[in-house]
This record gives sequence, structure tokens and C-alpha cells, in this order.
Amino acid sequence: MPIEIPKDKWPGSIRTVTIGATSAEGGTRAKTVTVGGGTTMPYLHFEAPTPNKPAIAIEIKSRKPEDWSPLLAEVWGAAMADPAQWAKKAEEAGADLLVLALTVEDSPEDAVKAVKSVLGATGLPLIVWGPGQAEKDNELLVAVAEAAKGERLVLGICEDKNYRTIVATAMANGHLVQARAPMDVNLSKQLNILISDMGMPKDRILMDPTTGALGYGMEYGYSVMERLRLAALQGDAMTQFPMIVTPGFEAWKTKEAKVGEGIPEAWGDWKARAIHWETLTALALVESGADIVVLRHPESVKRVKDAIGELVVA
Amino acid sequence: MNHSLTFTHDEKQASVTVPTNTLLADAARLAGIDIGQPCGGQGRCGRCAVQVTEGQVRRRSTLRLSEADVAQGYALACQTVVEGDAAIYVPPQEKIERRLTTDRVVAEVTVPEDYEYPFSQTVRRVHLTLTPPSMDDQTDDWARLQTAFRLQRRFETVTCSLPLLRTIGSTLRAGDWNVTAIVEISRPSDHQTIRLIDLRPGHEDEYSPLWGAAIDIGTTTVTLWLVDLVTGQVKAQVAEYNGQIARGEDVISRIIYASKNGGADELRQRVLDTINELLERACKRVKLPQGKVTPDQIVKATIAGNTTMMHLFLGIPAASIRLSPFIPAVNHPPALTGREVGLNVNPEAAVDCLPGVASYVGADITAGVLSSGLDSAENVTLFLDVGTNGETVLGNRDWLVTCACSAGPAFEGAGVVNGMRATTGAIEEVWINSDTLEPTYRVIGGGKPKGICGSGLIALLSEAFLTGVIDKGGNVKLDAPSPRVREGAHGGEYVVAWGKETESGEDIVLTRVDIDNLLRAKAAIYAGFTVLAENVGIPLESVDKVLVGGSFGKYINVEKAVQIGLLPDMEWSRFEFLGNTSVKGAYLALLDWRKRERISEIAKRMTYIELSADNSFYEAFTSALFLPHTDLNKFPSVAEALEKSNS
Repeated sequence: MPIEIPKDKWPGSIRTVTIGATSAEGGTRAKTVTVGGGTTMPYLHFEAPTPNKPAIAIEIKSRKPEDWSPLLAEVWGAAMADPAQWAKKAEEAGADLLVLALTVEDSPEDAVKAVKSVLGATGLPLIVWGPGQAEKDNELLVAVAEAAKGERLVLGICEDKNYRTIVATAMANGHLVQARAPMDVNLSKQLNILISDMGMPKDRILMDPTTGALGYGMEYGYSVMERLRLAALQGDAMTQFPMIVTPGFEAWKTKEAKVGEGIPEAWGDWKARAIHWETLTALALVESGADIVVLRHPESVKRVKDAIGELVVA
Repeated sequence: MNHSLTFTHDEKQASVTVPTNTLLADAARLAGIDIGQPCGGQGRCGRCAVQVTEGQVRRRSTLRLSEADVAQGYALACQTVVEGDAAIYVPPQEKIERRLTTDRVVAEVTVPEDYEYPFSQTVRRVHLTLTPPSMDDQTDDWARLQTAFRLQRRFETVTCSLPLLRTIGSTLRAGDWNVTAIVEISRPSDHQTIRLIDLRPGHEDEYSPLWGAAIDIGTTTVTLWLVDLVTGQVKAQVAEYNGQIARGEDVISRIIYASKNGGADELRQRVLDTINELLERACKRVKLPQGKVTPDQIVKATIAGNTTMMHLFLGIPAASIRLSPFIPAVNHPPALTGREVGLNVNPEAAVDCLPGVASYVGADITAGVLSSGLDSAENVTLFLDVGTNGETVLGNRDWLVTCACSAGPAFEGAGVVNGMRATTGAIEEVWINSDTLEPTYRVIGGGKPKGICGSGLIALLSEAFLTGVIDKGGNVKLDAPSPRVREGAHGGEYVVAWGKETESGEDIVLTRVDIDNLLRAKAAIYAGFTVLAENVGIPLESVDKVLVGGSFGKYINVEKAVQIGLLPDMEWSRFEFLGNTSVKGAYLALLDWRKRERISEIAKRMTYIELSADNSFYEAFTSALFLPHTDLNKFPSVAEALEKSNS
């Protein structure tokens, strides 16, 4: 007897968002990245195909980070001191797009210079994060947004207490924004409403539901993402934005990834473990509906990319 | 086409000729009469109501006026245009204020119609004339007094404390064996057992006052009514912040403080100091033809308050209230005396602590249910106490369910930089002009403002939201074009009154932190009643009436309260504002033993629902932590108002 697989038909869908602009579109990117567009829960191919596969971003910094794991320093080497070099290596490592994280030490001129050099070094679309202090974020991102007008950068990170300046400059200069809320469906939705209320076009918002690493609250983040996706499919317009999450940042601050000495032998090889940690965190989040995962280690990028390939083809 | 209009204002007349479709407000201005438009002529505030006594006008909106008012010719000057010759009366502002369909004013206290001192009251004044002792009649003083009670009043059993017993002999002799006894009837049903409260020499005037106090010990505010038990009249109403606030704003932090060494004694003393000070203040307010009232003349006190407040007041350990499974030491405290509890009333005064239901639903709510009449309502009614603990009761005469949620003291003016209680000097109403972002406010008592009370905060938050001073998340939009919007010490803030207008000379502001506190308070209350209604399967739309209690003022603008998402979006006519329902319940119980028994029945009937049992409360809370709510579909009238103010 043939078994008919029941199929859900949803009234809503995830919006399609394109990051980066080619010269024909007013920017300088060699290619653009389009994410979102899903009409079902992730990877239920018997219901509908996955219109755009999840993209992988590699995080680089405007200055050599002193607090990153030696494993990351080892693999990126001297390129870490030069954003342009680092960007090139990240592109070679298979990144679909880049995240450039600015630091508190950067002046607006430094920030603009770093962004320009990265844009010059690769043709990948770019996400730019401020250092995470409201005033500094606003100062740097306004300068960057103006200097890179028309590039369709993603500017971040907008939070409920600090979003107006970033959104305003993104709107004025043709960029997108990343809207982060602390692991709560309602809070995500509220920030999306606030940003939309300012007049930001809905195809220029990425939502960041915040996540934790494997063993550090990932399952909570997972279920929030799942619920956001369900709300979006049910037709809630303010949750229908593609999701960006930061498993690289989360995984590399865990003890398991960070520490190589004074730990139980049973934990095994440090490098293998650290990369597993980042990969598994990222993959779980991809399964729960992440559209962009931001990673740090090239090996993780390769593995996650392979896994995504299998998910989308299956 | 031109029309001639005649305005009458302040006993003067002015005429003007204007073309068809001129706004009445504009026409008035041409006639030299300035009709105030606090909201900037948007038809939001209703403060520009005038009465069209003759002629033709067209009203674009009458939302804020009742049908009866419209029938009498009332119209909003900013929403009404001229269509023919007309005569218009511009009433003084204070006449308009209470006409509006959005405003709910708490009713004046009146003595219950069924109050009859000789039957309802448990405390009585009894005149006795004793046979003096002699060599032939060797009965002792106490037995003589008991005999007199039995023979003259049929009180079979009399009890008396030792300190009072020590004074009996001298009092009997000082009055030459004529005495006035103040007694408490211990069991009103049998009328035979009494407790002696006071014995005074001679026969007092039968109708002179006998003093009682109804007290509500709120987490934030303590309210006290001084009552003449003979007439039942409230002679003074006073209130003050609970002195315990200095040791924590909510019940949980108070319980924690009480568990520390000496903490319980300190908290008990702090609330006693507050009440004793209020007793003094209330007594001073009463003017008698001769003599004066002092707290020691108070012979009965009825006390309402949440379970924690009751424990701390009585010095009973409260720790178990906050620990699972959340069991209080006492829900129904026994009958007590002034001496035992430490109040500066008559030491033998009857102190009646009303019964509660559970750790988080106390006597303030059982008393509130009684005074609100919810327990006898025919249709499903929602009772909200907009106080620090956000208690909610849903039900009717057949069933009652209740819950509590920690809302914090913001609506009582505490935890807000320029917040204050609803007394003289408090800004109780605010309107913001949408074009200029300039505010218009009203101050209780009419003088210079000292701060903002609960109803003022509700109005201010709503106005700031609708006029775009703040966004839906409560962030002050620092790019708003007004000097009143500025960066303060705690983030963005809005200046309601400049220093030159205020009592203290300092600016009165609403800060980002205040807004957060208000948002949390309103979200907790909204989440409380929505989850409660969901739990019992009652859709909010089917609630017939919403009774709002709270000690944040004499008035609430229900439209504003809906706009910030504190109250559910339903017709304004379904809301009633009852003020402090807890002290009112205590007052009713103070007067009438049948009402007191009714409160005990209510306490037994209420079903308590623990909100922390699952995630639904937190979910409802975070979704309500927005203006008016994350799901705007739940607030269609606000969506409409927003659209209007954006256009």
C-alpha cells in the first residue's frame, strides 16, 4: 500500500534578502548572496524545495584579535593583522560572504579604511559589525555606511536600546541591518517592528535571534529559531526575516574549544574537539532554520558547507 | 457662504462671521476666545468641548462625548465645522473634564444604606448604672459589673484584660457607679459574649462618635480611613508611602530582608511607624465642636493587606511565603488587640486582620472583591488591582479565580524619578501637542507641580507614544524636534515641566528608566489577566465589566490606559474605576459584621492560580512588554489612533 506523506501548507513564507550589490546594481561586489525564501520548515523537500541554501560567513576583524584561540591564530597566521589579507584567505577558505568586526580602538577613519580595504581585496558581500558599544557603534557605522554607499552591506548589530542611528544610516545609504534580540520570540519580533516602523524596507532586515554554543544553551536558541520560523510560516509578517546566527563566536568562547591544557584526557585532541564544537553548533542551527552562520575556522567552514550541500540535495 | 457665530464665554459674548466649513476652534480664535487644545487639535483629548445652543454644525468626531452630551449640543471645537449661523457656549474647563467618555472618576464614599449601628456594629457603647456596694452587699467590683451587664443588657459572659481589670474599681467610683462601657460583641450571632474594651466614668452622650479605623497596608502605599462607628461616616482619609519601601520595593525583597538578623523587627516597626503617624494625622483632620480626637480613642481597627504585609505587620515569620510550596504561616489571623499588635490605638481596641487566600492573594483582594461587588455580579467580571502585586480576580457570583503578578510600584509613583502619590501637587493628566511636542498638564490642587502620580504617568506614557516622543519599545527618540527631548543621566528623557514652572525649581522629567518600570508594570498586569482568562477558557471579549482598583489617584483615563496596553482594548463603557478597593473593603468590614463574614466566605470561595506553574505567563509578559503590545491586532483602537497620528 502506498503511503502518502502528509504535507503542510503554510500561509506565510520567509522573505528573500539579497546582500551585496554588483556594479550593475550600484556597488562593486563580484557577486551577491541571496538568502531566505523558504516556504516550509527547513529541508522538508517533500513539501517544497529550499530556494536559497544557507550561506556561510567568515568573521574577520579590523585589528588582530588578542583574545582569540591560538588554534585560530595558527590557521590564519599573519593575515590576521591585515584585514585585506585576512579577507582574501577567508574567500579562499570558501566563505560566501564576510563579517568585518570593528574594534573600540578604531576611529571612524580607521573603520572606513578597513572596510574599503576588505571591499578592495575580495568581491564577496560584506557584513560590518561595530565593536558593541552603542556610541562607538553608531559613530563607526555611520562613517562606514556613508563611505560604502550603495554596497548593500549589512550593518550591525541593532539591539532594542540602540538601533535608530544604525537603521537611519542604513536606509540613507542603501544598506541592510542585522537585528539582534536575546533569545526570545517576542523580543525579536518587537525589534523588527521598531526597525520597520522607521521605514526600513522589509527586504533589508536580517534577524539575529542570538544563540549559545553546544552545551551552553544552544537548544534554547534552537527552539526560539524554530518558533520564529513557525510564526513566520503562519503568516506573522514581523518574523519573516532570514536569520543570521554566530556559532563561531559562541563556540570559540567555550572552555572545550578554547583550552588545550589541564583538561581531562578523555576530552581527546584539542584541535579536533574545537572544530567539532564549532561545526556541530553551526549545523544544529542550520537545521533549525539559520540562513547565515558566521564561523571562524576554515575547517569548520568546509565541513558545514559539505553538510549544507547534502541537506539541500537530499 | 458666510455664517454668523456668537460665542458666549465667561459671561461675555463675541460674534464673528466665517465661511462654511470653518472649524469652531478657528472661529472662536477670530472672535478673540482661545479654546485650549492640549492635543494640538487632533480630537484626541476632548478638552475643547463646547455647547452648540443654536444652529447648524457638522461633527467629524464625537468619540469622546457621550450620546447624551451630543444631544445637549456638545461638540469638540477642533473636530466640528460651521454649516450655518450658530450660537455657541464655551464652558469653563473644569466643567468639561468630567464629561468625557474616556474618564473614570472614583465615587465619593457613602455610608452603606443598610448600616445600622445597633445591629451591624460589633463594638457598642453601653450605659450601666450599678448598685453601689454596702455592708449588706459585699459583691466585688468585677462581679458587680458582670451582674450589671447580665441584668441590664443580657450579656451572659464578659471577658476583660488584666490591665483594664486593674482600673475598674477606680472608674466605677469616679463615675459614682454610673459608667459607659465600650464592648465588643465576640460572636454577633449569639449576642451573649462580650469583651470589655474600655470603661469610662459617667454616661457619655449616646450619639457622640465612637472611633474606628479602616487600614490598607499596601506594599507601596498605606491608606487609612478614620470612621465614626456610630454614624458610619468616614471622617478622614489619609495615605502615605509604606516606611518599609526603604528596605525593598516588592514583597520578595521585603521577605528576604525580614529573614536577616533583626530585619523582621525593623520592618514591623517601620510599618507601625507609618500607621501610627497616619493615625495622628487622621485624628488631627477631624474638627469637633469640643475637644479633639486622639488615636487612643480608636476602639476598633480593621486591617487589609496582602499576605506578606500582614505577616510583617504582625511580626509573623514570612519566609515560607516565597519558598516552594509557598505556604503562609497564617491566612486567617485570630482576633487581636491594639496592645498586641503595637498600634497606638486604645490598647484593648479590637484589631481585625481580614483573611487572605494564599501567599500571593491576601486580604487586600478579598476585601477588594467585597467592595467591588464582584462576588455578587451576574455576568463575568474582571477585577484588576493596579498595584505593586497586580492581583487579578475573574468571575461572578458563582465562581471566582484569582492570580497575582509582581508589577512593581511604578503606578503608585514609586520607582519613578519624578513619581509621587496622588496628592496635592501631582500631575494627574498630561496631553502632548502632536505638532510642537509641548505638553499641557493638570495638577491636583491646581498649584505648581511637584511630581507625577499614577494616572499622570499613564497619560504621559500614552501621549509620548502617540506623538512619537518614544517608540513602541519605550526608547526616547532623541532625534525628535523638541528641546524637551534630551539625553539625561539615565538615557533619553522628556521634560514635562521646566524648573521655572515647578514647586522645587527642578525640571520634572520622564526618563528611560521610568518608562522601563512602567512598561514592566503594565506588562505584568496585562499578562496576569490574559493568562488567567486563558486558564479558565474565558475569552476577554466575553468579560462584561472591567473593574479597576488601585491607589494611584482619584481618576483614570481608560483610553490612555488602553493605549499603553495596561487595559484590554474594549469599549470604554465597560470600565469602572473604583480607587482603593482594599481600604474600602476594610471599611465595610469595620462597619458591619455580616460584611466581615462575607469576606471570609469570599476567601473560601476563591480559586488561586499560580502563574509560575508554566511558561505561559512569561511568554505573555514579554509580548506585553511593548507599546501597546507586540501583537497590535489585540489593540485595534490603538492601531487606528496610531495611523491617525502618523497621517
